[in-house]
Amino acid sequence: MDKKSEVLLRKLLKNWVSRHRPPDNGRARLLWEAAHNSPSKNNTDLFLFRPQYRSHPSSSSSDWTLTLFTWINEYSFQVGLKARLI
Amino acid sequence: MSQAGEVVEAISDSQLIYNLQAGSLDALGVLYDRHRGLVFRTAIAITGDSEAASDLLQDVFLRLHRFAGHIDPQRPVEPWLYRMTTNLSYTWVKRRQRWLRPLEDVADWLAGARKDTPAYQAEMDDSWRQVQQAVLALPLSHRGVVVLYYVNDLSLQEISEILDIPVGTVKSRLHYGRQALKQSLGLLAGEIMSELQYEFT
Repeated sequence: MDKKSEVLLRKLLKNWVSRHRPPDNGRARLLWEAAHNSPSKNNTDLFLFRPQYRSHPSSSSSDWTLTLFTWINEYSFQVGLKARLI
Repeated sequence: MSQAGEVVEAISDSQLIYNLQAGSLDALGVLYDRHRGLVFRTAIAITGDSEAASDLLQDVFLRLHRFAGHIDPQRPVEPWLYRMTTNLSYTWVKRRQRWLRPLEDVADWLAGARKDTPAYQAEMDDSWRQVQQAVLALPLSHRGVVVLYYVNDLSLQEISEILDIPVGTVKSRLHYGRQALKQSLGLLAGEIMSELQYEFT
């Protein structure tokens, strides 16, 4: 490719890319998210089995299914809510 | 420029990484302001999707924050940002090709009439769409090299180090990518090329 078309191609691609701009709220969004996700805090808490209720003393043998169901609902709601807030 | 602005400008990337490692979110903000352009334009050129590029921009800087402790402050931060951006963009494109593309095709087919509306036409100017299609038609590995070379003005050696591939491979991919682009955009040369090549600012 000759030098002229090389310059042309470079300019063309740069012009195409420059038509798009980063979002205006990017910095605020980044700092909010970084503040709520410190480096020391990893994401494993999502995978921990931590139902937000106490088992009834006279729980039946089918409680684990209820626990699992509650956990899935609870965390999918939290993750969904978080995604929307971000 | 204000005095505070001058002070911020005077702080080196190296010092900002040290501050980030110490937990300073202000340092993250300054690094974002300073380097968001290179991350965003790399992401948009590889993915061709403005929304995805915005998300990747966030993701890259969140990773910079999360993995600051593993970054050597004595070395330039740009290669790390380029590497992370290309890797995450590649992942996004592969995932989209695998899962979302078929769904989007169906959605496009269902909403076929939308493409005839003036709003849609205005949104996707035909000339630029051809440029975008030409770039997105490149194989991913060629696209990454082309973007780093033409859009970001990086040297062959720098691209080699960022992508962790030999310089010869960079040359080869650049050659084939360039040929493919020339072929795709060659049709534009005599017709609408002039209106697309306004001065880049």
